[in-house]
Order: sequence, then C-alpha cells, then structure tokens
Amino acid sequence: MTLPKQTKPLNELVHDARAPLNRISMNAELIKLVLENDMPVEKALAALDKIIVNCQACSDSLQLISDSK
Amino acid sequence: MLNILLVDDDIEFSDVICHIVEFLGHNIQTATSLKEAHQWFENNSFDHVLLDFMLPDGSGLHLLDHLKMIGQSPKVTLISGHPSVKGILANMCEPNVTHLLKPLQREDLELVLNGPKKTVKKAKKNAITHHFDTLIGESEAMQKLYTMIERVAKTQANVMLVGESGAGKEVVAQAIHNASQCEGPLVASNCGALSKELIGSELFGHEKGAFTGAIARKEGVFEQANDGTLFLDEITEMPIGMQPNLLRVLETKKVTRVGGNREIPTNCRVISATNRSLIDLAQNNILREDIYFRLAVFPIDIPPLRERKDDIPLLAKVFLEQLNDENGTAFSWRSEQLKELQTYEWPGNVRELRHAIHRAFIMSDPQTSDVALPDNLESPFSRVNNQTQENQVSAGQTIEEVEKELIHATLDKVQGNKTLAAQMLGISTKTLYNRLNAYGGIGEYK
Repeated sequence: MTLPKQTKPLNELVHDARAPLNRISMNAELIKLVLENDMPVEKALAALDKIIVNCQACSDSLQLISDSK
Repeated sequence: MLNILLVDDDIEFSDVICHIVEFLGHNIQTATSLKEAHQWFENNSFDHVLLDFMLPDGSGLHLLDHLKMIGQSPKVTLISGHPSVKGILANMCEPNVTHLLKPLQREDLELVLNGPKKTVKKAKKNAITHHFDTLIGESEAMQKLYTMIERVAKTQANVMLVGESGAGKEVVAQAIHNASQCEGPLVASNCGALSKELIGSELFGHEKGAFTGAIARKEGVFEQANDGTLFLDEITEMPIGMQPNLLRVLETKKVTRVGGNREIPTNCRVISATNRSLIDLAQNNILREDIYFRLAVFPIDIPPLRERKDDIPLLAKVFLEQLNDENGTAFSWRSEQLKELQTYEWPGNVRELRHAIHRAFIMSDPQTSDVALPDNLESPFSRVNNQTQENQVSAGQTIEEVEKELIHATLDKVQGNKTLAAQMLGISTKTLYNRLNAYGGIGEYK
C-alpha cells in the first residue's frame, strides 16, 4: 500500500513516531511489574496487545518520514 | 502516598503511567491539556505534577507560570522526548523542577516520585555505628576512648592527642569537636607543614603591610576557630622559638596579629596532636614544659590498630561501602578476607588499612562482587619500619645480646644458610657455629 505524501515538518513526524515508542516502552514496564508481582496475567496480555498495535503505528510513522524526503 | 497530576495528551501513554504510579502506591489524576490541568488546580492541590512538554494548547512551561500565579508549588517533572529540554530547565534554575526523557523507565518514575532508594543502604550503614558521627569501632580500647571524649567534651580543657601515625588523631579531634556542640567551626592547621617565617602569620594572622607580600589583612587560625575548636597537628614540629608566642596566647586567650598592636580575644579549645610519645617529649626537650602543661590538660592516647583488631572488619566494611558509593559498585567482603585483614599488624594503622582496601578495590574485577586482596598486605613503608624496629638497639643491652640478635636476624634473612650468613657477617663459618653454640646451641638453625 502506498501512503499519501505528507506535508508535516520533519520534527512533527519524528514526534509522531516517538509517541508509539513511548507507549511500547511503558507497556513493557507494566508487563515487568505484572510478572514480578504475580498480578493477573490478563493485564500483561492486554499490554502485549498494545505493544503489537504500537509497533505497527511506529512502523507507519517511520514510513511517512521516509516518504516525506 | 503522593497526590499526583499527570498532564499529557497521549491518553494511552497516560493510562499505562497511571497503572504503574498506582502500583507504586500513589494517587494519580490525569489531564490532557493545560486547560484541564488549570481546572484540576482550581479545587485541588497536588504533591507532584508529571508534565508533558508539548501540549495541544501550549507548552508545559505555561503551567509552571500558572502555578506560580496561584501560589502553588508542587514538585514538577517535565517529560519530553527531546534532551534539549534539560538544558532549558538548567537555565531556569527552578529547584522544584526536574526532567525525564522519553521513553520512560519505571526506575526513572520511582526515582522522581520516591527519591533515591535510601532505605536499604541506610539500614546497612546504620548497622555500623559512627560514634560522634566520625569514629568506628566497638573494641574495649575504643570504648575507653569514647568515655574520655564524652568527659572532656563537657569541659573547655585543651586536649593533647598522642598516637602513632595513621591512628586517626584528626578524626578524634573532629569527634571531640562534634561532642562539644560548640557554635564555632573546627579549624585545622599542621604545624609541621609551615615554615618558620609563616607560622606566626598562620596562627595569629597579620595586618596589611606587616611584611613583604602581606597585601591584605589576614585572620589567624586562633581567630578563625573562635567559639569552636582549633586542631594543631604535629605540634611537636613547631619551631621551639615560636613556642613562647603560643604559650602567651594560651595563657591570655588573646592574640595579636603580626604587625598589629591590638589584642584580640579568642575563645577556642585547642586540640593538639603528636605522634611522639610523652616520654620522648619530656626526654628530648621537644616541647617546652610550660607549653605541655597548657596544651595537655587532658592527654588522650589513641590506640594503634593492632591493639583493636576486632574493629578491623567494621572499618573494612565502612571503607568498602564508601568506595562502592563513590563508584556505583557493589563489592563485598568474604568472611575469610576479613579474617585475613585481622592477621596483619597494620603498622601504618587505619590509614594503611584504608589505603590497602582502596588498592584492592581498584584491582578488583567489576564483573564480580569479590574484592581482590593482594597476597601480601605489607606496604613498602611498613616493611622498612618492621626491619628498623626489629633491628633496633637500645641502651642497656650487652654487646653479647646485640651480637646474638644480629646473628639471628642475618640467619633469618638467608633462611638459615650459615655459609651465607657468615659471609654477610664478615666472619668464618666456624666462628658462626662457635657463637651459636655459645648462645645455647644451633637450635632452630640446624
């Protein structure tokens, strides 16, 4: 699929790419907490789902940056 | 438990932070814009604000201005994805504002919310008592020392500390100062380090123009230590010609600056220190008798480390802990290593112990928690000292006794090889045998 050409400035595009990375990082921290403290496994599974979704979002953002050149 | 406000427009990010912060035991509320944050502050107060730098309706810095305006001063941690924000904050010089860089880690959040993890380390440190905030040791010799410090601290008496080099005279001076709870400072001066020309200026100060190079007025250490404690280290190295001036100050409690004509009252306890024995002082006319009686109203003998070997593990743990703190490492002692440290005599006392531990610390492999103690703990100085002490000759010994000591020392040096020993002594092997037989047989040198 070819994404439409973006007109956002580069710093905004980088900011958009960082947002999913930050979510991934915090969700990973949450999973560590769950595992270290015997918390309900559902919480960890939900966080893992969010990580997968945000990986895709990050990938899309990086593609936008690449296309914007 | 803290009341925290998180201001961030990324709802999913905020959601996860809320989970983590709640797990850390705090209450947390969220706002997605400056406007919402202002609304929260209308009817609430918070201990800590976690604040995104870029918000849809302005910068996080605008909230800082708003907080000042409404007179609230919670701690604020700005969260941004750009390292340059840290520089901006440094320029602001706001003591309540810290910065975290995204992506965040749980430890970062814990650190800004709970502060450094003091509890574990403190518990460890508290296990070893620092008497008077400085001294370490629970041995009988140290208990006696503590009693003396307590007693003398309640008085204004001058104290003379007598102890071997490295035994901790300055630390004991600090302990007396701490126990005295006096208002003034502890000022230390080393009488052995000052030239004959400068010692007067150092002790009593000087007026501007008193001598070449005296471009400004200077307070001496007696004035600096007013209402406190003056520690004069190596007092016995003070030139004997300067001692009458010191005596006058001790007697009158007034100093006159070099080149001045005004007497300035001083009120300080003088703690002096020497590594010479009191007998040495008396026999060799090192310190004038009148000065001695003024300085040594209360003499205290500081025990050498070899007389309080039970304290060596405590000292070793404290020194290692300090090095770990300074270097961010986690080395620890094995019990057999602590026992090994106790087997050595430490002629350089606590200073030598600290030095040996520092050396071992540097040599240790940071990939492990083991300290790499060397096979031989002796320092070059202790080796020389040992040899000179062993070979000391004193008045009252007979020539025969000295000769016997010399022969035995030489035989020890060459592992009992009599031919070699005879060569070193400049006698024939036969003479050596004869002398050994005369001293009661060849014995251990067979």
